[in-house]
Amino acid sequence: MKFIGIVGTNAEFSYNRLLLNYMQKHFAAEADLEILEVTDVPMFNESDDQTNSPIIQTFNDKITAADGVIIATPEHNHSIPSALKSVLEWLSFNVHPFDGKPTMLVGASLSDQGSSRAQLHLRQILDAPGVNAAVMPGNEFLLGNVQLAFDDEGNLKDQGTIDFLETCFSRFMRFTKISNLLNIPEEITFTPGTFDVTTPGHNGDLPMKVTLSKKRIEKIDIDTSKETEGIADVVFERIPQEIIDGQTLNVDVISGASITSHGVIDGVAQAVKMAGVNPDYLRQRPKAGALQAIPDEEYTTDVVIVGAGGAGLTAAAKTLQEGKQPIVVEKFPAIGGNTVRAGGPMNAADPEWQKQFPAIPGESHTLQEIVAMDPESIDAEYRPDFLALRDQLQTYLAENTDENSYLFDSTLLYRIQTYLGGKRTDLNGQEIHGQYDLVKILTDHALESVEWLEDIGVEFDKSEVTMPVGAIWRRGHKPAKSVGYAYIEALSNYVKAHGGQIMTETDVTSLIDEDGRVCGIVATGAKGQKITIHAQAVVLASGGFGANTQMLKQYNTYWTEIDDDIQTSNSPAITGDGIRLGQSVGADLVGMGFSQMMPVSDPETGELFTGLQVPPQNFVMVNQQGQRFVNEYGSRDTLTQAAIDNGGLFYLIADDNIKATAYNTSQEKIDQQVAAGTLYRDETLAGLAQQLGMDPAVFEQTIANYNRYADEGLDPEFGKDVFDLKVEKAPFYATPRKPAVHHTMGGLKIDTKAHVINETGQVIKGLYAAGEVAGGIHAGNRLGGNSLTDIFTFGRIAAHNAIAEAAE
Amino acid sequence: MKLIGIVGTNSDHSTNRQLLQYMQQYFSKEAEIEVCEIKDLPAFNEPADKVAPATVQELSNKISAADGVIISTPEYDHSIPAVLKSAIEWLSYTTRPLIDKPVMIVGASHGSLGTSRAQGHLRQILDAPELKARLMPSAEFLLGHSLTAFDDNGQLVFPEKVQELEECFEEFRDFVTINNELVKNHQAKAELNRQFSWELDANGGQN
Repeated sequence: MKFIGIVGTNAEFSYNRLLLNYMQKHFAAEADLEILEVTDVPMFNESDDQTNSPIIQTFNDKITAADGVIIATPEHNHSIPSALKSVLEWLSFNVHPFDGKPTMLVGASLSDQGSSRAQLHLRQILDAPGVNAAVMPGNEFLLGNVQLAFDDEGNLKDQGTIDFLETCFSRFMRFTKISNLLNIPEEITFTPGTFDVTTPGHNGDLPMKVTLSKKRIEKIDIDTSKETEGIADVVFERIPQEIIDGQTLNVDVISGASITSHGVIDGVAQAVKMAGVNPDYLRQRPKAGALQAIPDEEYTTDVVIVGAGGAGLTAAAKTLQEGKQPIVVEKFPAIGGNTVRAGGPMNAADPEWQKQFPAIPGESHTLQEIVAMDPESIDAEYRPDFLALRDQLQTYLAENTDENSYLFDSTLLYRIQTYLGGKRTDLNGQEIHGQYDLVKILTDHALESVEWLEDIGVEFDKSEVTMPVGAIWRRGHKPAKSVGYAYIEALSNYVKAHGGQIMTETDVTSLIDEDGRVCGIVATGAKGQKITIHAQAVVLASGGFGANTQMLKQYNTYWTEIDDDIQTSNSPAITGDGIRLGQSVGADLVGMGFSQMMPVSDPETGELFTGLQVPPQNFVMVNQQGQRFVNEYGSRDTLTQAAIDNGGLFYLIADDNIKATAYNTSQEKIDQQVAAGTLYRDETLAGLAQQLGMDPAVFEQTIANYNRYADEGLDPEFGKDVFDLKVEKAPFYATPRKPAVHHTMGGLKIDTKAHVINETGQVIKGLYAAGEVAGGIHAGNRLGGNSLTDIFTFGRIAAHNAIAEAAE
Repeated sequence: MKLIGIVGTNSDHSTNRQLLQYMQQYFSKEAEIEVCEIKDLPAFNEPADKVAPATVQELSNKISAADGVIISTPEYDHSIPAVLKSAIEWLSYTTRPLIDKPVMIVGASHGSLGTSRAQGHLRQILDAPELKARLMPSAEFLLGHSLTAFDDNGQLVFPEKVQELEECFEEFRDFVTINNELVKNHQAKAELNRQFSWELDANGGQN
């Protein structure tokens, strides 16, 4: 019989340790007693889960594998020591090795009491539902006056005490045998068949078919055709796989998708019930592979890339194109990072293509404003480009004066707009604008990035040129398939097809830095195993820190306030990991105080694509009083500040025609959101106003004014000068919106070759960065559609230079 | 009246912290309640030099200077959290500021039981010879369903609980006054308790 003994204290000298040592020796013929110490167990903290640390895993694995447990507790302040309580809390939090485990209590103390009160507390603690140990009743072994109990060899001196301990121990051996019978899993016999159940998805219930044979769960089919691609996919593959592999409903939920994870598990539970079996029996079974110890892993490759979003996968694809081997490590179960959530098309000036489209009202006005700018107001490094652009614009405007005007664009217009869009001053009066050399690279290579993506397999819809929110100009290249996912799908397919490796649930903990050169990473895998990857170079492509409110607040110098409970449009994975990794090898940071809010986010979730999200020429924004309050074409931070000034919450108004221009939605989704109360619909404007608690007269007047401005092509109130549709056809819609964190412009300082630069201005050898993890390009405000251009451009540059310089 | 409120957990999100913050502002006219955290105290481990860490001593001094203490405890596994137990072990190890100190126990839990069992344990613990706190008898404040108990402004939304807390707190203020009168005349015994040690006790010492 195999027992685990736990010394219930972290004290250097302990009579309880002595007692367990004695038992180990004295009962060696009957049982194998292995003694575990609690000294190195961290203090339990539910906010800092360390279940995967080696020490907790050791306790979990050894207790799980043992036939029973013997706990020796001292008494501190009439109860058990905090050190012992902490271990029990860890072992009843996310793992439960004590569940049903035969357990014996012993205790020693200096007083007569012999830990009597501590043992009673311990019994009650072990009886708590999260612990649920099978504690042997009676047979209390209390060793009082313990300082007199042992001889110099650590043997108990008193024969009566030894006899009683022997009685208790032999009882416990019998108790263990009998008690463990209860732990034999219940016999299960399903009524065989295929059962139709449902599981909740993001966009409504999904049909699920569960096939059960007499003894097994054979098959789980989920119809995901209605689901958002990307994030949820992993849930619908992995959860069923783990259920079938382990023949268990005891399955870990997937981070970032807990609702859908539980949905699948509950759906299968429902089918199990329909087949005549109590699903609790399956929930009590061990997890798939729970008992296997996972060995550490070690790999060697050419380039290791941190983060499997758009920048990381681009770097991986580029590495493969140059004949080298990448490994991409991603801390989340799903790939795609923030890119998979991107809704906007990517910016690239392609004048020949854009020329085919007619200009829309107001665009010439935007260009005239640029022409009218004082060149002295342009920073010196941009001034030559600005003057050249002014010539281009004057020529264009002279030739395009009527309704036959075409849509103008040029690399220079793109560059100057990126620069102007990013120029900001923070609360401390610090001015920032995009670093010229980086902005030049971005705008010069943008179109090349579009073409490169086409080679990789992204298909663009060339029939339309669009403008994402906050983009200032129509130069968006929109993928034919659903926007953000289209990039990730094509890139990951390319990487996999060409032999690149993507390791998910691999959380990088440190960079390997040898002789001032970064040459690999150390990470923690899904099962807590250590993963070491040696490489010639490391590319950080782990995104910004939009989902790390603490870090946002720490660096913020731009917003007057960032709420503790601010929502974000970002993936919860985007917590600034790459920035911290860079700093660990001395990287310099730039522009960290500047973060971008997405003014048009879901007030509850921070998501972009709920409700009716339309192009800005069709935006009609009204505040909670039913009045417009801003030029809807304003940059993101103008819109955000205006929203904050109007109480945060505001509404996007749409009619039936405007509805048709919404991104990423369907009638079914719309109906569902109306039913859920997250989107408002009414046959009349007055009715809509009433639903929103506005004065109908005010709201109707607002819309009447807006429609008139749209006819006239100019809005005298707020200066909106580009219009498309009016609000006129019932039913009418109102989508509630509120600013949420969207992008962090600051990050690691890089040069034009995507090298990470240290605090003394030197290149950190072997370390490259691409995408939102790097700073310097977007400065104080990033134009909509530029993040995609950034990741695909600098992702390629980082991989190219990593390989070229490794060869040197 | 100056009181110390101890948040009995190291969790980032705690309704017990909310409860103390609520009491702090709700009773601000009757008493000054300073809310103290224990999350940054090291885990108890008897130091070789027998000197408590500075953060522990700081908390200990605050308690000594206060008229009374309110402990708000969650319930983990039918008992108090290890981190609260650890803080108490430190207090019993240092200058023992809880000896004869009036203590009120409150607790909030997500479920319906409101930390009843943790409070029971805490009472027994605080009665240990190294602690000997003066617990307010026959009064317990259990706040169940604590996740729905507070609104966005941190106000307790259950009216019957507000009333119960008011009565409890009023009684506690009286208890503090009476108790501090009572113990004035027992300083010699208190000093003896401060000297208590199980080692001495076991060796036939003066306890």
